[in-house]
Amino acid sequence: MKTNSMKTLAFNFGGLECVGHPSGALYVPAYDCLLIADVHLGKVSHFRKHGAAVPTAAIQSNFDKLDIAMEDFKTDRIYFLGDLFHSHTNKEWDYFARWTQERKPETTLVLGNHDIIPLSRYDALGITTCEVGALGDLQLTHIPEDKPEQFTISGHIHPGVRLRGVGRQSISLPCFFISGKQMILPAFGSFTGKHVLRPGSDDRIYAIAEGELLALHETP
Amino acid sequence: MKREELLNIAQGWFEGRGWNPFPFQKQTWNAYLQGKHGLLNAPTGSGKTYALWTPIVLSYIKSNPEYKTKHKKGIKALWITPLRALSVEIQQAAQRMADELETGLTVGIRTGDTTQAERAKQKRSMPDLLITTPESLMLLLASKDYPKLFKTLEAVVVDEWHELLGSKRGVQMELALSRLKTICPKLRIWGISATIGNLDQAMDVLMGDSTEQEKPRVLIRAKRKPKVKVKSIIPKKMETFPWRGHLGLHLLEEIIPIIEASKTTIIFTNTRGQCEIWFQKILEKHPELAGALAMHHGSINKETRLWVEQAIRNESLKAVVATSSLDLGVDFAPVETIIQIGGPKGVAKFLQRAGRSNHRPGEPSLIYFLPTHALELVEASALKRAVTESVMEDRTPFLLCFDVLIQYLVTLAVSDGFKPEEIFPEVQRTFCFQGLTEEQWQWCLNFITKGSQSLEAYNEYRKVLIQEDGLFKVTDRRIAMTHRLSIGTIVSDAMLLVKYVSGGFIGTVEEWFLGKMKPGDTFVFAGRTLELVRLRNMTAQVRKSKKRSSNVVSFMGGRLPLSSQMSQLLREELQSSSAYKSHTRELRALSHIFERQLQESIVPASYEFLIESFETREGFHVVFYPFEGRFVHEALSHILAYRISLLIPISFSLAYNDYGFELLSDQFWDVQLIFDNDLFTPEYLLQDLEKSINATEMASRKFRDIAVISGLVFQGYPNKTVKTKHLQSNSRLLFKVFKDFEPDNLLLQQAYRETFEHELEEGRLRIALERICNQDMEWRPCEKPTPFSFPIITDRLREKMSSEKLSDRIKRMRVQYED
Repeated sequence: MKTNSMKTLAFNFGGLECVGHPSGALYVPAYDCLLIADVHLGKVSHFRKHGAAVPTAAIQSNFDKLDIAMEDFKTDRIYFLGDLFHSHTNKEWDYFARWTQERKPETTLVLGNHDIIPLSRYDALGITTCEVGALGDLQLTHIPEDKPEQFTISGHIHPGVRLRGVGRQSISLPCFFISGKQMILPAFGSFTGKHVLRPGSDDRIYAIAEGELLALHETP
Repeated sequence: MKREELLNIAQGWFEGRGWNPFPFQKQTWNAYLQGKHGLLNAPTGSGKTYALWTPIVLSYIKSNPEYKTKHKKGIKALWITPLRALSVEIQQAAQRMADELETGLTVGIRTGDTTQAERAKQKRSMPDLLITTPESLMLLLASKDYPKLFKTLEAVVVDEWHELLGSKRGVQMELALSRLKTICPKLRIWGISATIGNLDQAMDVLMGDSTEQEKPRVLIRAKRKPKVKVKSIIPKKMETFPWRGHLGLHLLEEIIPIIEASKTTIIFTNTRGQCEIWFQKILEKHPELAGALAMHHGSINKETRLWVEQAIRNESLKAVVATSSLDLGVDFAPVETIIQIGGPKGVAKFLQRAGRSNHRPGEPSLIYFLPTHALELVEASALKRAVTESVMEDRTPFLLCFDVLIQYLVTLAVSDGFKPEEIFPEVQRTFCFQGLTEEQWQWCLNFITKGSQSLEAYNEYRKVLIQEDGLFKVTDRRIAMTHRLSIGTIVSDAMLLVKYVSGGFIGTVEEWFLGKMKPGDTFVFAGRTLELVRLRNMTAQVRKSKKRSSNVVSFMGGRLPLSSQMSQLLREELQSSSAYKSHTRELRALSHIFERQLQESIVPASYEFLIESFETREGFHVVFYPFEGRFVHEALSHILAYRISLLIPISFSLAYNDYGFELLSDQFWDVQLIFDNDLFTPEYLLQDLEKSINATEMASRKFRDIAVISGLVFQGYPNKTVKTKHLQSNSRLLFKVFKDFEPDNLLLQQAYRETFEHELEEGRLRIALERICNQDMEWRPCEKPTPFSFPIITDRLREKMSSEKLSDRIKRMRVQYED
């Protein structure tokens, strides 16, 4: 399912080159590594188990997206910035285990509030887990810090931005949200919502619209 | 007992109270006692309760000659009412007759307000007559052994059927009846409806296909035509009256003497926002009315609304500013005068409002019409004609509501379980599902059992289980409970509760309105200026503010379009040749406007379709006048702009109101190309509509209700929203997932269908296009804007033709920054 329509966008964050991918993944060339937040695997099954008939095709699309991001950047290093799994294990854990065994990515999971699956199960798959991760001086967390002292990338919020146009047109889009020394990644999962943030004038926003990344802030 | 004797009992009771039964009442008694089904067309306050309760009592007396000493247990009749507020009045009337005839019959109420203890008591021993709502009836069908409860049921009376008919609550009623028909073979089905355009169809929908039941049906009309007198408030200086606007505040002083002259006046506005503004402005200009003026609309808390209603009854109010929240409901005797602000957009609505005023026998109801801009006087003139010619709108029944069907099937699975081979024919005999195919039925069954997946493997979906004997049943208690809590088809908007910091609930406001405010900001709501203190969960805490604020609370989607009957009347009124000079008072008042119009253009006759074009510094305007209402104009403007943009490179800005629409461009284009290319053709309507309108966005809004009704989204336990948060998802997210991964999902398709049929009024659009194609095109190039065009071209809520890519659209939009 490799497509060339995926348009990436490179930008600078704390002196480090970062490349935003329309899937919501962030690629950091200096460390040849993908940062991915809030996949929420297992959420579709969790909903279905509780009687909401969410399409099962949405499960597979998470793995397709992971494949595409890895192939687009030719990398197999992944940092998951928390909420990899939505809840307890269910069938989707088995899919994930199979995918991991097939692709063999070098994976680290920064634990998020949803990650309640016993760490031993990650160990068994060869996945490193930690509370806070780092790429050189860059700090990786799940929950954004109030006022980070060092450059930090996090997830958790599922950031989105609302645009308004004439005639009561309104649209909200998932986005990479940069405020000061903090970057918040969009949620990667196919079945995740978003939380609309209202940026300040110094903030940078890279929104995802139909397989394309658009810088929405006013460039000085 | 013979029918004659029975009827004498009723006649005697009526005479004992000094009444004489109306012919329609006697007709209904007879028809009922003959075992017929029927629909009674009678207005509120006409004695319709006794038209149907009487024969139910008589029928009981007939089958229990010793009724005075021996009471036979079990429910005899169900009385369905759309409004809980009406149930007490019906109960009192019914109980009075039952008692005075010494029948020992009991009358009970079961609605959302009924206590748990009372419900349990009713389950043990049903009252003889149960007054309930469609939702509460469904809940009874969700309880174990429900066929036993209804074993003795003889009659269902659906009151205010016209209110339910055009909504999904009507579909819910159809399904409930389809079940009751089977479990109570003796059932008689009766409806009561106010006058609507499609009474015959209303009866068909209520009865369903009753080939199984050979009982004949009758339509009985109470020949009591409501007398209504319409009086327009015509500004003294017509020349300075604005050509556009929608608030009507210019004429505020005109209504003060009207209010003073009558006991109680209801001032009807069209939107909650307009209601708030009028209330505020009247008090500002006339502080002496403080305490004697109240406000009533659907977002104000229930206690306050009940207080206002009570205050109307005991005459402690001089006037109430209201919205459609007071259209229906109990009678208010002290109300002498009605004022309607702005066009009511529909004849039935207007008459219903007029009928709220006290009618002394023989005297007509008086309703004042206050125009908000000059051309609305044409609407007033058309309304007057509608009243004399008794033109009425249709209430269009819904078809194939899969969301309601799915809810119903789970309801049956929650109670005793169901067998598809038994339920399918029942459902197919309802009006709503007459076109239901075997495949669609299978899809619904698959949806509730396997979550619409074909593969059994790895499927953790659990809702309805198929038991070994083929019974479809919910066994999980938690699923059963959440389903019972979700029964219903009224989906409320995302509302925030507005409360004082010190406690005390004021009302509800749509989330988007408060979402853009910061603590410390003030806004006007429920007649008070409030300061936002903080937003917490779904509650906005506020305190009273002394500051003056012009930020009046507003609500989305308040404006109704003209009904098709109103549009036709309006066209005829306007186009009734240029004999306006000798015409009605309203049209005479507009004579200077017609003269201005004729200087530049024409007043189109019924065979003419007017198009005007002119240039201003804004650009090149082309204005079209189909007079079909704003929804149809919205769609028409998009289609036409789209079709033109296929022929020439151009971009348009669109505007529309109830009378016409405008295409504005920054460059001149030759209007002749519309005629040369036959651009108003109804051919390829659907395809062009899909391409020209953001149907996906509209469908995603429609999907919200569908997702809740079909149980995809659980709205939460009362007062316990946090616990279920992990299961709450927003319907937009679900819509997106379905669109991307399961495009053939019937619920998703229903969202699109409802968008085209109800939002874009595809049927009406097609008829409008056919009409336009048969009219003479009158294209008038003008020097400057005409009076007809003025309200349209000055509309600020414009849309751009957006057939572009999303990223192009985004470039023209602006990010919402912090304030």
